[in-house]
Amino acid sequence: MDPIATAVLGSWTLDWGTLCLLFAVAAVYLRGWLYLHAELPHKYTTGKLASFAGGLLAIVLALESPVDAFGALLLQAHMIQHLLLIAVAAPLLLLGQPVLPLMRGLPKWIFKDALGPFLGSHELQQAGRVIIHPVVTWFALSASIVVWHFPRLYELALRSAGWHQAEHACFFWAAVLFWWPVIDVWPGHSVWPRGAMIPYLLLAGMVNMGLSAILSFSNHVLYASYDLAPRLWGISAIEDQAAAGGIMWVPGSIAMLIPAAILGMQALDTRPAHPVKPVLRVLAAHRPSQWDLLSTPLLGPILRYRHFRRSIQITMFLLAAVVAFDGLFGPQVAPMNLAGVLPWTHWRGLAVIALLMAGNLFCMACPFTLPRDFARKFVTPRFRWPNSLRSKWIAAGLLAVYLWAYEAFALWDSPRATAWIIVGYFVAAFAVDTVFKGASFCKYVCPIGQFHFVHSLISPLQVAVREPMVCGSCKTHDCIRGNVQQRGCETQLFQPRKLANFDCTFCLDCVQACPQQNVGILQATPGKSLFEGQTSSGIGRLSRRPDVAALVLILVFGAFLNAAGMTEPVMMWMHRWHARLGSMLPVVTAMYIAGLVIIPVTLAAVCGWISRRVARQSWRDLTCSFTLALVPVGFAMWLAHFSNHFFAGWSTVLPAVARFFSRSSLISYPAPSWIPSLELCFLDLGFLLTLYATWRVARRLVSGDGMALAAMSPWAVLAGALYSAGVWIVFQPMQMRGMMMH
Amino acid sequence: MKLLFPLLILAQATVFADGGSIQMRQEAGDLVITVFTSPTPLSVGPADISLLLQKRDGLEPVLDADVSLLLVYPGSNIELHVHPTREQARNKLLYAAPMMLSKAGKWGISVTVARKGKALIAAGTLEVAPPTDRTLSLAGFLAFPPIMIGLFVVRERLLRRASRRQA
Repeated sequence: MDPIATAVLGSWTLDWGTLCLLFAVAAVYLRGWLYLHAELPHKYTTGKLASFAGGLLAIVLALESPVDAFGALLLQAHMIQHLLLIAVAAPLLLLGQPVLPLMRGLPKWIFKDALGPFLGSHELQQAGRVIIHPVVTWFALSASIVVWHFPRLYELALRSAGWHQAEHACFFWAAVLFWWPVIDVWPGHSVWPRGAMIPYLLLAGMVNMGLSAILSFSNHVLYASYDLAPRLWGISAIEDQAAAGGIMWVPGSIAMLIPAAILGMQALDTRPAHPVKPVLRVLAAHRPSQWDLLSTPLLGPILRYRHFRRSIQITMFLLAAVVAFDGLFGPQVAPMNLAGVLPWTHWRGLAVIALLMAGNLFCMACPFTLPRDFARKFVTPRFRWPNSLRSKWIAAGLLAVYLWAYEAFALWDSPRATAWIIVGYFVAAFAVDTVFKGASFCKYVCPIGQFHFVHSLISPLQVAVREPMVCGSCKTHDCIRGNVQQRGCETQLFQPRKLANFDCTFCLDCVQACPQQNVGILQATPGKSLFEGQTSSGIGRLSRRPDVAALVLILVFGAFLNAAGMTEPVMMWMHRWHARLGSMLPVVTAMYIAGLVIIPVTLAAVCGWISRRVARQSWRDLTCSFTLALVPVGFAMWLAHFSNHFFAGWSTVLPAVARFFSRSSLISYPAPSWIPSLELCFLDLGFLLTLYATWRVARRLVSGDGMALAAMSPWAVLAGALYSAGVWIVFQPMQMRGMMMH
Repeated sequence: MKLLFPLLILAQATVFADGGSIQMRQEAGDLVITVFTSPTPLSVGPADISLLLQKRDGLEPVLDADVSLLLVYPGSNIELHVHPTREQARNKLLYAAPMMLSKAGKWGISVTVARKGKALIAAGTLEVAPPTDRTLSLAGFLAFPPIMIGLFVVRERLLRRASRRQA
């Protein structure tokens, strides 16, 4: 093929933000369509699905294809882009009758709890009727087309990416409104008779034609940017403008005339329509049981495979062995050593992303428990973990020590220390679990496990019972006791009474043990267990456990302290004290004692005391309950911090791997520009979920909205302060530790 | 809703085009060289620079050149060496590269185009504005929590009213 044609056709921009958004919309629509297709096969046909998919494809073509890349140089390409959005994407999406499938496809908590009150509001329904009135919709599109073609506004859109997107959004959403009455999308009654849509379309066509005529027949270039742009293939600016006018005129008019003709034919058709169930009844119809990951076609059988966990543990064990070996015997330059790169940049990033997207996948693949499992084939532990130590205090203390040690001894910069930590972890897990029964190490000692237990409370998946009725008739309780072939839950979680992911290692022993196959990995409402205050098997009430509150405070404040330690102002401050005292150790120690113990405990105590003035409940219960609600904002900071390292430094593994195999490599990629946006997005969502959880906790503990608001206020202020600290951290210059990046 | 809104903002925030404003157009040898920069106006911080090379006769795009740029901040030893390639460009007729501008003012720019054993040079200046406030470009994210809190307050009111009606 001609190289220029190849270059033109290869000018695609894959913008992952846009693609992820469109993929999410497609997934929600497909989920809803599958339900509705089963209920109303005549109304939700395969054609509607294809039409919706075609609409999304048209958006991709408009925004990601060469049409977009050439829009700045050729007005005709820009015109095709607008036509794709207005005359192809919008009507195709609406032909898919998207409202009901999108509603049904959303998770129940979003559809019912978040959107439900708005959808049921009389005022909003009225506003909706006004917005989709044909007069309003006709003017919306006509006005946006005319106004955006004024040279000053068009130039503004050409010069600024932000205004360009605003222009596209305006065209697209105005087109959605315009086509709404034409296609007669539910919900919305046809205010006008169907026949009235014919002049509606023809009049819009005339506006389009008027503008096209101006572009086609003008004897000067209307948009200065195209006059200045370099000319391609000898097409002059005036010729380009005339061609753009022609595109607007002919395909633009056809887009209006075809539906007008179809409407005309429909008016002449006297056949009765298919009888359908009333749509509202369909919307309220029984939803199928919760989505179960273990029932999915490809992943389900893999996860259910008896040796699945063992195989990923062995993989992780081998990886840990390689990392430890390189850490001990490789060069002590962190960016060139696997122990300096993989644990601190990749593993941490992947673990938090897994927590956000799925659940506690790290514990599922944990290599540290593999040697003790092997040893238990020969040695049976004799002791039960002491009752007095059945809490999170030891683990919370170890977590605090680990966070302090990370900063005090610059662990990220020391492959040897990292390797010793890995070796030490194996030894500790082995020692504890060959002496004590069950998963005592995981439940009461492991700081990494506690990190995952706490944060998996806001994960979207949960190991849970599929049908509670089945468990009602179970006499054997294999899920916790185990059987001849399979051990039961080692962290003592009895599935029928298990409410959250806390202490769940996702080992899937209960899945394998249940003779009824009644345990799955089900979808869960993220964060629900943070505010419900219910009693769960093997845990009790999280909201009444000071040890869990202490653990949460260390994790939440540790997230901000750990991230702040990388920022330039904090580092400068530490270096100033270092210069004064002659050593960094007392500076870091003081900072961590204050930041992980004194400040969090004081703030929680004060907030609990203020809440108690209103709530008249026990100070301990109030403090523990509200502290739990801080988990999301803390997790958001961990997520922002670790994903920053992961996305900015994913390629840093390449030189380390190449060096390990005695090859040289200088491959590296620049950090993506969207990382700060992603970090702020995480912080926003974490802050909002914390606020929501504090509100729900307050509503649970206090009667009356006003009193609940007063009780939650100090905690909301604390969450706001943490969020502000997170935003400040995101905007600071940051040391990219162990990555040879700045 | 919680998911879609930030994603919409994300989608907007990540769109970054090459092309942009024309900074310079010069004829050098048998080529016409056009230099574009974005963002507009060009300011301190990350920026994209891209070039379109066309034959002087017929303005056919040239795709087989090796392009390098030298940006110099006068009166200092700040120099930026940039190697724009077609692989880095969205529009594959252009040669593009990202760069980081550290100072506001007038930068000298020198374009070297090597093709078929010949090197052509074009020179000019780039006017770089002071840095734009970074918080401004991320304002959507900072506005998101207050908007959602506002919507939540409305939701609670609607719920309360509905329950009053039912009672």
